[in-house]
Amino acid sequence: MKSNRLGWGFLSPTLIILAITGFLPFLYVVYIGFFDWNIFAAQKGLVYTGANNYRRLVFDADFLRSLWYTIKFTFWAVSSELILGFALAQLLTKDFPGKTFFRIIHALPLMIAPIAVGALWRLLVIPGFGPIWYVLEEWFGIEYRIGASTSQAFITTVLMDIWHWTPFVTLTMLAGLTSVPKDPVESAMVDGANQWQVYRYITIPMMMPIILTTVFIRIMDALRIVDEVYMLTGGGPGDATRYIGLHIFRVVFPKTDYGYGSATSLLTLYFTIVFCWLLFVAISTSQKNS
Amino acid sequence: MDTIMDNTPQTEETPAEFAVAPPHKTRPGFLPIDTNTFDRCFISVVCFVAIHLLWMRFIESFIPLVMATVISLVLAVIIVRWG
Repeated sequence: MKSNRLGWGFLSPTLIILAITGFLPFLYVVYIGFFDWNIFAAQKGLVYTGANNYRRLVFDADFLRSLWYTIKFTFWAVSSELILGFALAQLLTKDFPGKTFFRIIHALPLMIAPIAVGALWRLLVIPGFGPIWYVLEEWFGIEYRIGASTSQAFITTVLMDIWHWTPFVTLTMLAGLTSVPKDPVESAMVDGANQWQVYRYITIPMMMPIILTTVFIRIMDALRIVDEVYMLTGGGPGDATRYIGLHIFRVVFPKTDYGYGSATSLLTLYFTIVFCWLLFVAISTSQKNS
Repeated sequence: MDTIMDNTPQTEETPAEFAVAPPHKTRPGFLPIDTNTFDRCFISVVCFVAIHLLWMRFIESFIPLVMATVISLVLAVIIVRWG
């Protein structure tokens, strides 16, 4: 009984702060999601509409398209980062000249604020000025216009995310690779296993919890991308890079449709939680099996 | 009478203040994973929302949304009880 009281006593400051900053705003968003609230509407204030915002949402082609673009973006960005991050981590376990320098340099993008990453990439690709535009256009003859080509804009946002977040994946993978015990690897080598078999049957299964945790974090981040894309393409051309975060931003701020924006946010949160929960189940199952 | 020497190292008993709470008990059910009560409630909520959204998108023009609520609640009871 005493230990319970002491435990709750230690926890209470954190719980109070969490309730004020996290839980109450969440409940408020849930509440607003059932109302029509637009400051430019003829009828001012909150107008109760029941589930109408959600009804509107499941038929909203813009929202569904944004969701599809976000899923595509998340898949390409996270899978590329995972492969590249694992390869770089593997490289960093070997000794080569300039390793320390490379290790510091490759982690630099992590320290840049997302909005600055967007601005930086905009300067890199801007037609008539950016070095990437210059190289592609002048050296390879590729017409590179992210303001006109939807596929080029999409690929550029994916590349920007890869550039920004691969170092994070590399560092977590490196931590995982250095923590893999050497004995099973050496035993397998003595038994005649080649490098590929060692990876396939020992290294990757032992690193599976770390790989899944990294994927888990990266998926959550990729699903809520806003500022980098806002700075780089502004969601265009058309709505080709209008990912879900940007879509919510446009609904809530320029359109001031707060009720509908709340419903959109909640549905996005729902998809993110379900996706992460499925991953969590996968992590737990893999840990149990290993 | 001979006494048997016990050489196993004695560990200090954990003070009650720092005792770790026991993990939630999981049990198998008809769901493909072992779940505890929180998991089953969570799955019920996820199903509740999914059923309502799909109902509004595809079925509401024929059958009112109240039916989705009834089905979701029945499903929630089944999941919490036997899941």
